[in-house]
Amino acid sequence: MPLWFVRGLLRGVVSTPYPARPDPSVAGLPTPPAFRPGALGRGVADSLVAICPSRALARDDDTLVFDAGACAATGRCRDQAPDAVTASGAWELAATARPALVKRIPLARGARR
Amino acid sequence: MTALILFAVAAGAWAAAALAGLLIPFGRARGAVLRAGCALSVLGGVAALCGGAAALLSADSRLVSPGGSAVVGTLQLQSTSLSGVFAVLLGVVAVGIGLSLPRSHPEAGAGPAVYLCAYNLALLASLAVLSAGGVLTFLVAWESMALLCYALILHRPRSETVASGAFWFLALSEAGFVLVVAAFAILVTQTHTMDLGLIAARAPHVPAAWRDAAYLLALAGFGFKAGLVPLHVWLPAAHPVAPADGSAFLSGLIVKLGVYGIALFGFRLLPDGPAWRGIVTMGVGALTAAIGILYALGERDIKRFLAFSTIENVGIIVTAFGAAMTFLAYGQRALWAFLLLAGLYHVLNHGTCKTLLFLEAGVTEHAAGSRDMDRLGGLARLMPRSGVIAFVGTLGIAALPPLNGFVSEWLIFQGLFQGFRTGSHLVAILIVLAAATLGLTGGLAIYAFVRGYGIPYLGMPRTRQAAAATERGQPVAGPALLATACVAFAVGAPVLLIGLARAVRTTTGVVLRPVLLPGKLTVIPAHLSFSGFSPTYLAVFLLAVTVVPVLIYLAGRPRGASLVVPVWDGGMLAFRPRMQYSAMTFSAPTRVTFDALYRPSVSLQRASDDPAGRSGPVHYETAVTPVFERYLYRPVIRAIEWLADFVRPLQSGDVNLYLLYVFVAVLVAYLIAAV
Amino acid sequence: MTAGQTAQPPGAAPAAAEVAAELRQAVTRQFGRSLHIRTLDTGSCAACEQEIRMLAAPHYDLQRLGFFFTPAPRHADLLLVTGPMLRAFAPAARKTYAAMPAPKLVVATGACALGGVYQPDPFSHGSVEQVLPVDVWIPGCPPSPLALLQGLLVAVGRLSEQAAGLGFTAADSA
Repeated sequence: MPLWFVRGLLRGVVSTPYPARPDPSVAGLPTPPAFRPGALGRGVADSLVAICPSRALARDDDTLVFDAGACAATGRCRDQAPDAVTASGAWELAATARPALVKRIPLARGARR
Repeated sequence: MTALILFAVAAGAWAAAALAGLLIPFGRARGAVLRAGCALSVLGGVAALCGGAAALLSADSRLVSPGGSAVVGTLQLQSTSLSGVFAVLLGVVAVGIGLSLPRSHPEAGAGPAVYLCAYNLALLASLAVLSAGGVLTFLVAWESMALLCYALILHRPRSETVASGAFWFLALSEAGFVLVVAAFAILVTQTHTMDLGLIAARAPHVPAAWRDAAYLLALAGFGFKAGLVPLHVWLPAAHPVAPADGSAFLSGLIVKLGVYGIALFGFRLLPDGPAWRGIVTMGVGALTAAIGILYALGERDIKRFLAFSTIENVGIIVTAFGAAMTFLAYGQRALWAFLLLAGLYHVLNHGTCKTLLFLEAGVTEHAAGSRDMDRLGGLARLMPRSGVIAFVGTLGIAALPPLNGFVSEWLIFQGLFQGFRTGSHLVAILIVLAAATLGLTGGLAIYAFVRGYGIPYLGMPRTRQAAAATERGQPVAGPALLATACVAFAVGAPVLLIGLARAVRTTTGVVLRPVLLPGKLTVIPAHLSFSGFSPTYLAVFLLAVTVVPVLIYLAGRPRGASLVVPVWDGGMLAFRPRMQYSAMTFSAPTRVTFDALYRPSVSLQRASDDPAGRSGPVHYETAVTPVFERYLYRPVIRAIEWLADFVRPLQSGDVNLYLLYVFVAVLVAYLIAAV
Repeated sequence: MTAGQTAQPPGAAPAAAEVAAELRQAVTRQFGRSLHIRTLDTGSCAACEQEIRMLAAPHYDLQRLGFFFTPAPRHADLLLVTGPMLRAFAPAARKTYAAMPAPKLVVATGACALGGVYQPDPFSHGSVEQVLPVDVWIPGCPPSPLALLQGLLVAVGRLSEQAAGLGFTAADSA
């Protein structure tokens, strides 16, 4: 049996259809934001809505409507309000229903900022 | 004798049909007279077919001299098995064209009257050529056939192209006739008889030089009629301008009469000869085949395309004849007879297929209004019956299994592949070269006929006129019969080959049957253990291979509605039929590869040379250089004109000069008498 | 069998959920190991196309999963659409979808195709679902090849989707 075949069997990498363990290649990629509802006041929410370039954020009374499908992961919302927004690190975002990507995040009650 | 009686019946029927044709403009029942004439023509065809079959299967009949006149000499008739093969073809062609005549010439007026008269008389003359037993009968029949075909071509409303095309036909026919007369003159003076049978018997005693000279003159003379390169130029000139059934008659039969002449000289009158005779014939044939199909690929006009395809097939037949003569020179009598048989079989097959295709070209021209492939398209859907019939004809002529063209070309190839049996390396190589040329021709023929069928019949109609094509009122019975004959010639090849083997046995004396059809249905090329195949089994197998998957699909397909959606066109918003392949773009690769032969002239004019590309309308014109007309015929014509100009002063019109001629002539006569 | 709208909105009746599950299983049976993908760019900036192209590269190697790219819609099972569906392109998109034989899937990928970035205006529809019936949405700008891979595997049912469970709220929120 050729040596390279045996060496390949011993040292080779088994590939799976989908990564069996967390894959390092997605570690540094931009991802949609994660919100801290406690730090989200109406004022903060409105500023976030204004700054989003891809129309992913909207405020509906006391709820921040975040459309994860429309998010382009620019990070401007995080730069605008670092206390309220952080990177979610979520990249497995495929959905079979469009409404499943629209998240409603309650704003902090009573906060005026 | 049976054959001659049947030929006489056919001749009578055709003469009556010609008379009926003449009577059309007179009287009231014009349509009935027209149809009666066509029926008589078909009847004559059937009689000729039966007579040909009878002649094929029996020995050469004795010479019959039913009389004559002082002008044309004694009429000498004889039916031979060689001419029987061609008579079978004559019958098939006459029946096919006769059945389609009423619909292709529906108007019963003076024009069709002359045409029908000329056509039936041409049939009669062709039969006379085939049943001629004496030299004078042959020559008179040949010349009248040529003149009647000239009348046939001139049928249309006269225009310059019509007159020019007919004139090319007549001029080259006469040139060939001169050479044929010379060939016969040599033989008659050397053998002291006008009887073809006696000439054949006495020919071995004629000195070899005279024999070879007679053969070469006959090859050239009959080559004019058969369409050998470079004597072929009348074919593409005359075929487009003749009416469709006239072209069918020309290609299906008249060209084959030229082949008959070559076979007559090569196999009956002067069979034994040196090898170079066969090699020259083979070379001319191979060259004709290759050049014919190459020019066919540059043609947009369907009829010119089919005319060049006729030239190609005549080349194939003459190659087979030439190889046969070469084999005889090296003592291979079985292969000699075999290649003669293969050539005759190809004559039958090509005649049937080509007649069919020309009739369909006529149907296309009347239905869609144009002969130009780039103005047609999608006709198979608009005219389904004609589409199927034309497809059968195309398969036959492109030599695709299981049809008849494939069987005869296979036989010819198998004969050529046995060139090594000659024993001479040089000759074997030459035969292999001829086979390679025929191989190239076969490949190009498939390419050409994919284009010849695909562009007009498949795809989408390229003009509004083509989109309005309908086959109502177009002839269908005649072409359908010819298509059935094509299939029958293929599937029933063993039967046909038995008949042809008997004809070849009578002509050459070689008993071919045991080495041709050892079993019932398998054909082998004159030698056991070389190769073999069965046309019948092949047809059955191909049918099974096509039908079985269809049945599996029909049995196992999912139940449920199927959706009919438009053809995927790349998502274009407006797919125009002009965006399809055109005939010239389809054959562009060949024209680029062989551009040394075509020498295309290209002219490109723009309105302006704006480098940004806004150059306005662009006029692009390309034309194939007519090599033979320009470099062979024009110089000859100019030389003749120069000679005529040089000699003209002799006829100055001056009476005194003429009196001087008389005086000089009398003086010379006295001097000769005194000496 | 068309698998046009295989998803059910959350909270539908249990019977509908069963039908949906059966349909999912049928899709997996049909496409799970052999899928031909036709990509369609309806006016994108081509960043999504770059990421899609990387799927065929040796690192991700889509072909080992039995998934292939095909240019002919007639041979395609799945239409992978990017771009905000320009109005000028809509007829061609409809023709492409119609040219695909049933059963077929449509996957829209990229923020533009999902309705973000561009509003509907005289030049674009704004999102793909205005013109084509979409089965799976893959967000991202552009989505990384792994995200695309996850989306394709969700489309054929080899992976279950996770988007519904994501809350996009930070773990350390008060």
